[in-house]
Amino acid sequence: MVFMSQILQPTMVSPGSQSEGELVIDISTNNSTTTTTTISGTNEQQTISMIIMKRLKQSLNSSLTRFHAGYFRISLSLGGQALLWKTLLGHTVDQNTIRLVLYVIHPTALLVLWSLTLFILILLSLLYILKCLLHFALVKAEFLHHVGVNYLYIPWISWLLLLQSSPFVTPKTRSYLVLWLVFAIPVVALDVKIYGQWFTKGKRFLSSDANPTSQLSIVGNLVGAQAAAIMGWKEIAICLFSVGIAHYLVLFVTLYQRLSGGDRLPAMLRPALFSYFAAPSVASLAWESIAGTFDTSSKMLFFLSLFLLMSLVFRPALFKRSMIRFNVAWWAYSFPLTVLALASTEYAQEVRGGIAHVLMLILIIISVLVSITLAVFTGFNTRMLLPDNDPIASLQINPLPTLST
Amino acid sequence: MEKSEYLDSPKQDSGEAVPPLIKIISTNDLEGFDSNKENSSLINLHPSFPIQPFASSLVESETAVVQTLNEEPQLINHLRKHSVSISMPSSPMKVDMESTKRVVFSDSVETMSVFGILDSSFSSTHGSEQQKFHSQPIPKGSKFAEAVNGENLAAYHPSIKRLRDNRFDSFKTWSGKLERQISNLRGRPWETASENNGAQNAKNEALHVDRYFDALEGPELETLRSSEEIVLPDDKQWPFLLRYPISSFGICLGVGSQAMLYKTLATSASTKFLHISPTINLTLWCISVALVAIISSIYLLKLMLYFEAVRREYYHPIRVNFFFAPWIALLFLAIGLPPSIATNLPRCLWYILMAPIFCLELKIYGQWMSGGQRRLSKVANPSNHLAIVGNFVGALLGASMGLKEGPIFFFAVGLAHYTVLFVTLYQRLPTNETLPKELHPVFFLFVAAPSVASMAWAVIQGSFNNGSRIAYFIALFLYFSLAVRVNFFRGFKFSLGWWAYTFPMTGAAIATIRYSNEVTNIVTQSLCVLLSAIATLTVTVLLGSTILHAFVLRDLFPNDIAIAISDRKPKRHTHRKWFHLRNGSADKKDNENFLKSANTDCRDLEAALKPPCRPESKEAVQASSLSDAK
Repeated sequence: MVFMSQILQPTMVSPGSQSEGELVIDISTNNSTTTTTTISGTNEQQTISMIIMKRLKQSLNSSLTRFHAGYFRISLSLGGQALLWKTLLGHTVDQNTIRLVLYVIHPTALLVLWSLTLFILILLSLLYILKCLLHFALVKAEFLHHVGVNYLYIPWISWLLLLQSSPFVTPKTRSYLVLWLVFAIPVVALDVKIYGQWFTKGKRFLSSDANPTSQLSIVGNLVGAQAAAIMGWKEIAICLFSVGIAHYLVLFVTLYQRLSGGDRLPAMLRPALFSYFAAPSVASLAWESIAGTFDTSSKMLFFLSLFLLMSLVFRPALFKRSMIRFNVAWWAYSFPLTVLALASTEYAQEVRGGIAHVLMLILIIISVLVSITLAVFTGFNTRMLLPDNDPIASLQINPLPTLST
Repeated sequence: MEKSEYLDSPKQDSGEAVPPLIKIISTNDLEGFDSNKENSSLINLHPSFPIQPFASSLVESETAVVQTLNEEPQLINHLRKHSVSISMPSSPMKVDMESTKRVVFSDSVETMSVFGILDSSFSSTHGSEQQKFHSQPIPKGSKFAEAVNGENLAAYHPSIKRLRDNRFDSFKTWSGKLERQISNLRGRPWETASENNGAQNAKNEALHVDRYFDALEGPELETLRSSEEIVLPDDKQWPFLLRYPISSFGICLGVGSQAMLYKTLATSASTKFLHISPTINLTLWCISVALVAIISSIYLLKLMLYFEAVRREYYHPIRVNFFFAPWIALLFLAIGLPPSIATNLPRCLWYILMAPIFCLELKIYGQWMSGGQRRLSKVANPSNHLAIVGNFVGALLGASMGLKEGPIFFFAVGLAHYTVLFVTLYQRLPTNETLPKELHPVFFLFVAAPSVASMAWAVIQGSFNNGSRIAYFIALFLYFSLAVRVNFFRGFKFSLGWWAYTFPMTGAAIATIRYSNEVTNIVTQSLCVLLSAIATLTVTVLLGSTILHAFVLRDLFPNDIAIAISDRKPKRHTHRKWFHLRNGSADKKDNENFLKSANTDCRDLEAALKPPCRPESKEAVQASSLSDAK
C-alpha cells in the first residue's frame, strides 16, 4: 500500500491532491496490518509464521474495535472536494475572470483526486464490513448511540458524492441508476427508522437526542435528492427533498432551542457544529438541481448557510477544547466548507457579480486549505487516528467490555 | 485549564502588563514585594494598577507626568496601602476606563465591554466566568482590592452613609472618585472587603443570566421578587438617566411606523378615496426624526455617564431585544421618508443601517444556537420578535431601494430564526421562565414579523404573490386571535415598552393596504380603514397616557429595578426552579425529568469552556479569584 501511494505521489498535479497523497500513506501505514492481512489472504504467503499471524490478528482486532463510521468523514470531505472541482472544471456559462482562472488546473488532477477518494472509500468500507462481520455487537452499539447513529449516514453520502463527481459514470445511464439505488436505499431505510423513532415514541426522543451531527441524516436525504435530480428523476428528488426539509425544520428548531443544554455532544466532537451550515448549503444545491436554476429559495438557503458560518466563526472559543489534540473529528470542518463553496459557485454563476465571485474564491480557497491542512495533520498524526479516548469508540467499548478482546 | 497556568506563574503574567519603567521601580523599591509573593496574585498585581493612570497621563499631559513622577516614590514607600489615591490623571474618565479594563478584564482575551455594547460580543461569556467569585473569601492583603473597588465600597459602607449620592456611583462611568481618593489619602482605613462582596462586584462583572430570572418577575422581568434586594436605594428617586430605559426607543418605533402608515395611505391606489394628505406623513416624519434625535441623545448620555447601567440592560434577557429598537426606528425613518423630501436614498445608507443589526444578530442568534446560559429554550419571550423583525424591515427597505441580494440575505436569516422563535414560543416550554402567564400587550409583537415579512417578500418578488399572502394571512390571524382577547389587557402597569407593541398593529395595517392594492374590493378596503384607525387610535391613547404619566402623575420613568438587582443569591432560591418545573408539566414524566436535568445543569457549550457556574470546587474559586485580581 505504501509503495502504491508513493507511485501515485509524483503524478499529483494540484496542491490539493498532493497532500491527499500523504493521507494515503498514513492511512495505509496505520492500517497496514489490516490491509496486509487482506492482501495476504489473496496472495498465498505460506511462509508467514503463526506468531505473526496472531499478532496481526490482535492488532487488527484492536483497531477494528476502535474504528467507527465517523472515519468516513475523510472520504466525505474528499468526495466533496472532488465534486467541487468537477463543478469548477466542468462546463459553465460563467465568463467571470475569477472563474476562468480556475481552469488552469488540469483535469487529470480531478481524476487523481477522484481515484484517491475512491480508494480511501473502498478501504474504509472494507474495514467497516470487516467490523460488521467480526464485531457486530459494536456496530449495534454504534447504532444505538445518539451521535454514532448519524455517522452511519456518512458512508452512503460519500458514495453518492463520489457517484456524482465520477468522471466515468454519466447520469441517465443504467449503471448510474443502479448505483444510485444501491446508495440511496440505505439512506431511506435509515430515515424511516430514525425519523420514525423521532415522532413515534421510540427509543430516542428528538428533544433529548438531537445534536449537531443529526443534521447528517438531512444531508443524506438532500444529497440523494440532488443525485436523483441530476439523473432526471424529478419526482423522486422532490420526494427526498421534502422529507429532508421537513425534518430539517424540526431539527433546526430543536437544535436552536438547546433543550438538552448542549452536553449531548462531547467536547472533542465540537467540529461537528459545522454541520449547522452544511445542511442548508446542500439543500440549496439540491433545490438548484431540482428547479433548474439557482432561484430565490436556493439563494435564501445559501445565505442562511453563510450566516450560520459567520455565527460560528465569530465564536472560536467553542472549538478551543477540541483543537488541543488532533482528532479524526476535525475532518468535520472540511465537508461543510466544501459544500458552502460549491453553493457559492452556483450562486456566483447565477448572480455574475464581482462580490459574488470574490466570495466564491474566498470560500473555495478556505475549503481547499482546510482540506489540505487536515490531510497534512492526518499525515503527521497517524498514531492519533485511532485514539483510545475517542468518544464514539469508547462509548461502544465500555458498555460491552467482553467483546473488546 | 488556563487558569491553572495563571496559578503557577502569576508574577510573569502581571509583569507583562507593566510598563518597563514601573516594573523596575516596583520590583526594586517595593519592600516585601518578593517575599509576599505567596500571598496570591494581589501583591503581584499591584503594580499594574497605578501604572495605568501613570502611563496614560504620560501621554496626556506633562503636568500629569510631573505629578505622577513626584508621587511615585510615595506610593512605593506607602507600600500600596494608598496606592489608588496617588496618581491622579488629568481625566478621571481615563482612570476609570483604564482601571476597569486592567482590573476586570485584563485576563480576558478579546474584548472589553467597557468600550460599548457592540464591542462586547464576548463579554457575556466572560460574564459567566467573572460572576463566580462573589462568594469566595477575599484573600488577605485585600487593601488593594478595596482600593480598586473603592468607589463601590464607598457607596455601601455604613461609615459613609451620609454621602447618599455615592450610592449611585457604582453605575457611573466616572464618578466622584476624587473625593474618595482624597479621603483615602488622608489615611482613613478601609474595613474588610468581604462584608461588601456583593456590592463591590456590582461594577466589575456582568451579571449571570440566571440572576435576572431569579431576582425579577413579570412579563418584562421588570419587578423585583419580594425576597430580593437591590443595590441601589429603593427609598428615593434615582437620577433621571438611571431611570431612563432602553425601551424608550419604543416611542420612535410607534411614531415612525405611524409615519409609514400615513405615507402608504396617501400614496396607495386602493386608499385614494380617503384623500389623506401627504402633509400628515411629513409632520409625523418630522416628529419621529425629532424623537429619535432626542431619545438617542439622552441614551447616549446615559451610555457615557452610567455605562454600568447600560451594560446591565444589555445583559437583561428581555431588554437586550430592545437594543434592536434604535436601528429599526432608523429603518422606519428611511421607509417612511416623505416623497416631498426625497424619493431615492443612497444605497450605502442601507448597508450602514444594517451593519449594527447584523452584528447584534450574530451575537444574539449565536447565543441562542451555541448554548450558553441564554439558550433560546430559556430566554424565549415575545419581545425576541424585536430581534427578528429588523431582518424583515431591512429586507423591505433594501428591496424597495432596488437592492437584490442583500435583502434576500436578511430575509433568509430572518425567516429561519423566525421559524425557530415561533415554534419555541408556541411550545411554551417548562424551561421557559419569562413567558407571561397571562396575556400582555407584548403578545402583539407576534403580529409584527409576519406582516412585515409579507411586505418584504412582496417587494423582493415584485408582486404580492402567494408567499406574501401566506405571511399576511398568518399575521392577520394572529392579530384577530389577540384582538378577541383584548379585554384581558387590563390591570397592567403602564410602561414605556408598550410603545414598541403598537408598531405591529401599524405594520398589519400597512400590509393590509398593500394587500388591498392587489385585491381591491370593499372588504379589503374597509379592513384597511379599520386597521389603520385602530393603529392610530392605539397610538393616540398611548400618547395620552404617556403625557398623563409624564406631566400629571410624574411617574413615566419609575426606578428601573431591573438594572439594579444584586448579584447575590438569597439562600432560599436554590430549588425554586425545580418546583416550577414540577408544576409545569406533571403529566409528561420522562420528558420532564429530562428537561429538569437540562435546566439545572450548567455545562453548556459555552459555559463548559469556563470553570463551573457556581464556585463549588476550590479550584474554581481560586482560578476565578486569580482572574479577578488580574
